[in-house]
Amino acid sequence: MSQMIINGMVLGMIYALIALGLTLIFSIMNVVNFAHGQMYMLGGFVVYYLYGVYQLNYFLALIAAALALAVIGIIFEKFFFRRVIRLAKREENTMLLAMGTALLLENLALFSFGEKQRGVPPVVTGVYEIGGGYLPAGRALVFFVALFLVIGLLLFVQYTRPGRAMRALAQDKEATYLQGVDINQISALGFAIGAALAGLAGGLLITIFAINAGSGTAVSTKAFTMIMIGGAGVVSGAILGGFVLGFCEAIGYETLPGSTTYLIIFIALILFLIVRPQGIMGRPQG
Amino acid sequence: MYFEARNIRVLYDRVIALRGVSIALEQGEIVTLIGANGAGKTTTLRAITGLTKISSGEIWFNGRRIDGLPPQKIVALGISMVPEGRHIFPYMNVKDNLLMGAYLRKDKKGIMEDLEKIYARFPRLKERLRQQAGSLSGGEQQMLAISRALMARPRLLLLDEPSLGLAPMMVREIARAILAINKEENVSVILVEQNSRMALKISSKGYVLENGQIALEDASRNLIYNDHVRRLYLGG
Repeated sequence: MSQMIINGMVLGMIYALIALGLTLIFSIMNVVNFAHGQMYMLGGFVVYYLYGVYQLNYFLALIAAALALAVIGIIFEKFFFRRVIRLAKREENTMLLAMGTALLLENLALFSFGEKQRGVPPVVTGVYEIGGGYLPAGRALVFFVALFLVIGLLLFVQYTRPGRAMRALAQDKEATYLQGVDINQISALGFAIGAALAGLAGGLLITIFAINAGSGTAVSTKAFTMIMIGGAGVVSGAILGGFVLGFCEAIGYETLPGSTTYLIIFIALILFLIVRPQGIMGRPQG
Repeated sequence: MYFEARNIRVLYDRVIALRGVSIALEQGEIVTLIGANGAGKTTTLRAITGLTKISSGEIWFNGRRIDGLPPQKIVALGISMVPEGRHIFPYMNVKDNLLMGAYLRKDKKGIMEDLEKIYARFPRLKERLRQQAGSLSGGEQQMLAISRALMARPRLLLLDEPSLGLAPMMVREIARAILAINKEENVSVILVEQNSRMALKISSKGYVLENGQIALEDASRNLIYNDHVRRLYLGG
């Protein structure tokens, strides 16, 4: 029992981080970032090379992963999405573009990193025992770094000037223009932070689960599941969705045989969405 | 002239929305644009703010040509707009809405002073500072929208249908607030209104827009007695 709670908390925290990044991009730009999982995968590879191969300090490698993905986010926003959003008359266009960026990143990764499964040596060693369950120090580290990042992001969005502008942009684009906000700048910042969060999640989780160039799709699928559970575009929903999925997964892997966990999660998701299509915290009109 | 739009034209997807509109005002003046739905009132305001690009003509403010500038530059020069339907940020509290209005300002002390001024002008907003803006009444939302625009310390305030959907008592309160802001802060105002009677009462000059053109312009006190205006816009 306590083992399930421990596993659920660790997974939930890191999933919340992934879902927050996706939500940030979706809510301020109305872009469904299908490449979120691929960004996660790239973050993992940055840490794999810098920390695993070149033996740089782990935290420096993690920061490098965040910066690398932030740069990719800015490039995507500036050269791809900004233009398509301006010219497109239909939302499908940005979705297709997002799909394309996912394929682009995945194939670039396959081309440059190969198809091998990659992991890294543990950052910290040791195991804590909490109420009969075991928490390896490596997972505790992942949990606390993710917690720190989630709190940092929430404070940033709530209390800083650019954070306020991001919230404004998510709620009313025209009114945001009228307050003198440079929309391009804030969109690029939002995309950069969202991508960096994906990269950080990948850089953290590679210390627990190995990745390969194709890992992204499964992560994206999980990320969308969280958003659908919690409610699209709502910060509290993203966090909640992350924890709900994290716990479902932890409980399922502990009690069910092999791969049935996700089968049941998806069936439950479909039933849930029939009853409540906007998710737990979602706003009715989307 | 403090502000002048010269013969501006606007095309939306090849449909002509404005066919050469010229308006002008002196510093500290309130002018009004009246007209039916679709006459081009909102388009005129949007063209001034840079939200809508003009296809020809010129817009001058305080000795500078401003057409073609992006909206954030125009706000920085001192033109703020209160859009039709208020467009407050509904899931943000009242205080954060006001701070969004001060987005381009760096003077913390001045921002605090202006917040105090707004609390004094609209005590109801002060009572609801931590409340989500979407939960305010229509009149309170309008007060918030005007206050948010004032937080940018504008020299020219563009108001799009501030009385829309408000109870008569609230319309009077908003009208009084507009007059007070104009007098006390020496803010010039361009007021777009369907409530032509209120608009002509508080303005010094009026323009009647019809089909994307100025059909009539005169001192507001003359327009109130103009037959055409009485029949079409003041209900006989």
